Amino acid sequence: MSMTQQARGRRSGLARAFSSVGEFFAGTAEAFRKGDAFTRLSALISGAGFIARGQIVKGVLKTLLEALIIYLIPGFILPNLSKFGTLGTVVAQKTFDPVTRKNVWNNYDNSFLILLFSVMSMAVILVAVVLWMKNMRAAYELQQTQERGKHVNSFRDDVEALLNKRFHVTLLSLPTLGVVLFIIIPLVVMILIAFTNYDHDHLPPNALFTWVGFNNFKSLFSMTAESSFGYSFGHVLAWTLVWSVLATFTCFIGGILMAMFINNRNTMGKRFWRTCFMVTMAVPQFVSLLLVRNFFANQGIVNTICKNIGLTDWLFGIGAIPTANYIPFLTNPAWARPMIILINIWVGVPYQMLIATGILMNIPADLTEAARIDGANAWQSFWHITMPYILFVMGPSLVNQVVANINNFTVIYLLSHDVYVTQNQYMANANASEVDLLITWLFGLTQDRQNYKMASVIGILVFVVCAIITLLAFNKMIKGDKEESFQ
Amino acid sequence: MKKILALVLVLMMAMTSVAFAEDITLRVWVGDNNDEAWINGVIENFKAAHPDNNYTIEVGIVSEGDCSKNVLADPEAAADVFTFADDQFNSLYNAGALQEVVIDPETVIADNAEGAVAAATGSDGALYAYPATADNGYFMFYSKEYFTEEDVQSLDKMLEVAAAAGKKVGFPLSNGWYIYSFFKGAGLDMVINEDGVTNTCNWNATDTEIKGVDVVEALLAIAQNPGFINADSDPFVAGVKDGSIIAGVSGTWNANVAQEAWGDNYAAVKLPTFTVAGQQVQMSSFAGYKLVGVNPHSEFVGDAMDFAAFMTNEESQLSRFELRGQGPANKAAAASEAVQAAPAIAALANQAAYATVQRVADPYWTPAATLGEIIANNNPDGTDLQTMLDNTVAGITASALQ
Amino acid sequence: MTHAEHISKPSRKKIVRLTIRHVVLALLAAFWLIPILWLVLNAFSVDKGPNLSHFFPQAFTLDHFKNILLPGGDSVNQFPRWFMNTLIVGCFNCVISSAFVLMVAYAMSCMRFKARKPMMNVAIILNLFPGFLSMIAVYFILKEFGLTNSLTGLVIVYSAGSGMGYLIAKGFFDTISKSLREAAWIEGANEFTVFWKIILPLAKPIIVYTVINAFLAPWMDFVMASLMLNSGVSSGKTVALGLFAMVDKVNRNNYFGEFCAGGVIVSIPISILFVIMQKFYVEGITGGSVKG
Repeated sequence: MSMTQQARGRRSGLARAFSSVGEFFAGTAEAFRKGDAFTRLSALISGAGFIARGQIVKGVLKTLLEALIIYLIPGFILPNLSKFGTLGTVVAQKTFDPVTRKNVWNNYDNSFLILLFSVMSMAVILVAVVLWMKNMRAAYELQQTQERGKHVNSFRDDVEALLNKRFHVTLLSLPTLGVVLFIIIPLVVMILIAFTNYDHDHLPPNALFTWVGFNNFKSLFSMTAESSFGYSFGHVLAWTLVWSVLATFTCFIGGILMAMFINNRNTMGKRFWRTCFMVTMAVPQFVSLLLVRNFFANQGIVNTICKNIGLTDWLFGIGAIPTANYIPFLTNPAWARPMIILINIWVGVPYQMLIATGILMNIPADLTEAARIDGANAWQSFWHITMPYILFVMGPSLVNQVVANINNFTVIYLLSHDVYVTQNQYMANANASEVDLLITWLFGLTQDRQNYKMASVIGILVFVVCAIITLLAFNKMIKGDKEESFQ
Repeated sequence: MKKILALVLVLMMAMTSVAFAEDITLRVWVGDNNDEAWINGVIENFKAAHPDNNYTIEVGIVSEGDCSKNVLADPEAAADVFTFADDQFNSLYNAGALQEVVIDPETVIADNAEGAVAAATGSDGALYAYPATADNGYFMFYSKEYFTEEDVQSLDKMLEVAAAAGKKVGFPLSNGWYIYSFFKGAGLDMVINEDGVTNTCNWNATDTEIKGVDVVEALLAIAQNPGFINADSDPFVAGVKDGSIIAGVSGTWNANVAQEAWGDNYAAVKLPTFTVAGQQVQMSSFAGYKLVGVNPHSEFVGDAMDFAAFMTNEESQLSRFELRGQGPANKAAAASEAVQAAPAIAALANQAAYATVQRVADPYWTPAATLGEIIANNNPDGTDLQTMLDNTVAGITASALQ
Repeated sequence: MTHAEHISKPSRKKIVRLTIRHVVLALLAAFWLIPILWLVLNAFSVDKGPNLSHFFPQAFTLDHFKNILLPGGDSVNQFPRWFMNTLIVGCFNCVISSAFVLMVAYAMSCMRFKARKPMMNVAIILNLFPGFLSMIAVYFILKEFGLTNSLTGLVIVYSAGSGMGYLIAKGFFDTISKSLREAAWIEGANEFTVFWKIILPLAKPIIVYTVINAFLAPWMDFVMASLMLNSGVSSGKTVALGLFAMVDKVNRNNYFGEFCAGGVIVSIPISILFVIMQKFYVEGITGGSVKG
């Protein structure tokens, strides 16, 4: 598919989305216009149309839901939404009451909770409006069904539908609720924080924060010695990209090579070798990483050995290390970056090997056999048959892995936290370091500096980076929807 | 009418508190697990001293160095009573995370050393924390097996001795808290501003008797000395244990480790002099305190204050010294014979003359640590030293609001 | 194919090649196993801290295991409590997350409804945001429900959004032939019966894969856990959080041996899981990642 065609396809998709929303509104309006008294009454009491037509249980449930939402308005939605514009004005104050020996607090505003509850309120309102419109249409449809003298579903029929035609509703409602409440709403809140001054000096509950527009984005792209976020962002981003690509492909290729090496017919004791490498998978990653970090510490066992065999002095002699005391495996940028990639190979290759083993076993034997008969050597057969097959199978998940590695917090954090001190002064002034990924930088900003606003800005940019990579890669790799080709 | 009502209320309160033992739950954070035996003893004593109330006191471990991070992550969820190093006082105070001491602050002020009280006083002049120890500073540990008392007067001599013995003198160069001692010793300054969130720093000065660049050059020479190793607390302990480090700068928290490893050869002394711009200059240091704060969001803030006062009184500070070797801030406790006789405490007392009370705003730490790391790595990029210092100062004095 | 066939009439060249091949493998295996060996050695070593001067400890002891399995009142070491906490969270997470994943995967793979494509696109977009970004907000939501510092809260954190991880399971369901379901419909089965009686029994590998992953999540994660369990009280921690604290700046020199012993103990059930489930696990990932 060419670019223009695809763009057209997308535009039509967007247009379709708009038109379906339009239809939805039109349908609601039509329901109201053409509906009888009961259908119209459903606009006020959502269950009215259903109860009147014999769907008692359904009607009562719908009315109860409506009552719940109305109940939320004065107690939850209004008080929070009304403060959304300022994020609160009443600063916390307390007096110590010597009689009760307790602090008496004023009725203060907590900017974070106002923001959080406002977003929740908006979600509730949105859902309520959609449900209300759906309800109107449903009431009207029911009216039409009855008018035509067709069968009106009993409650029992509805329940049965939930296990059959509408089974997806049953399946998806709880997981969706979880995702909305614990992923989407928090995400929206944190995106909004990028437009506030929520930082160390504006920490709720003792202080308020408020909207600042695009100021945080501006300071990310400005560059002075005092405010070096822009500089640090460029460097951290570059290393993040290098890391994610290298980490993904070294593990991928390493895994395939190792799988082929072990599965080769000349290898004896395949199971034994495979187990050897899989032992590292059994040790939880944080244990093995913390272990390796001590293993390679400046005053660690590897350094002691290197010192004893004279390697350290030799390296110092050729100027590869700055002091003769130790090899700075994890404390010097020139050493730490390759070491981190190596350690990641150590952690990641066995897993990839396992996957690759599975895929290799699935390669149709006649393909390789035919190649062998045609006189292809091992290398040719690998390059022209095995590799394309693996790429075909693994391609999409490779892209996902690049994105996952951009957000690979654990490896970098466990290997560098408390150990690595940056030698780059501009980065130091922005609380970043040479081995930081965007994600660890973000984490450090929130944990060490309570700089939530900048962390949020960085988080949004991480999303942008990931989105661009995914779009580019999938445009190149995925041609059409193969979803049903295996069914 | 109002007065009578208040009186009735007070009477009722008094009666209920007599009639029923109130259930009070408190959570207290101490720095590390070695403090547990001590704090559990304090809790027992506290319960015994307040038999009227039914106390449940939970102990949590949160490092004194990381306390503000943990408190500020969610002040409402933090412990009712927490211990922190005084460098975090401003950070906590500015965020409103410290309860003003409103129950009997006079006693706390009268009982504790002046400097300790000053470290616990907010910019509004009121007391916001309880001094717990007066030993949050550093000095030189050494093994008498290698050094004479004369050797340890000068860092140059110490490095020479260590290099000759194939051993190391440890100093945490990549740590802002320690690297300060060289600059301050050379007469350069770094202080917090009145706003409590920014610093003033002249480490890059060129018009002083000893220039900032001179200090960096001196440090580069020290860092390259074969008798020197850049070792923070953790590798210091490891080095002392395996015998590779025979002297080093650290604090009382490592006194027990050094004593165990060196036995009778264990000794401690004030920081030595070092050579900068051709002169011998005495190293300065931060004098610090450990403080106990009360969470204003505590449900039982009055009892939390009672407990904080109790865990920092003379008796508790003395028992803390006995169990942990930590120097008391309480004047009476500090004057006791046992405390006076401890080498680490004596070294700290001698260093006190050259020390400044630690008042530092947050932006100091990372740039200072980075400066130390560059020096420890012998300035690998060959940055011009003046530029390097200018950058460091820019970071240290930066507004926290960026 | 048997090995014997090829080795029965070896040429000299072949022997050299075979030797090289196995020496390389042995070297690689050593590279992979040395750190693990060091873990085990430290777990049995008499040293409390990481042994720095010798790779092999001077003497062996079971003290670290004894300490970690039968701790006293020391709050740095509450391993049995942590283990129980993590086990509980792991089991609940295992049930809820697996159910969510399989439910979503079935709906997205086998059913057709209007919201399907939009929902899948939303999931793709959400997956591109760094998860941590929203951690703090999740924390405050749970705090409003009074669920921080509780295992319930932790279960919710791990399982609530798990429906998003449906892709691999969906890929696996996609490979199950549609004719099976059609046959069932003809016999009058409803969608639920197809899901429960036909698809799930066929999806054993992917169920094993999902269950293992869900069960292991709380054993591996320490970021969410450290945020949610912020009371500082040791007995409420999970294994990851507790072991992490054992090797921080303050404790490393005293607890490294116990950390290693804890690591070894945690690894045992995981290895057993892997060994038993290896076949299914591999089929699960490879089957599922055909579609990615």
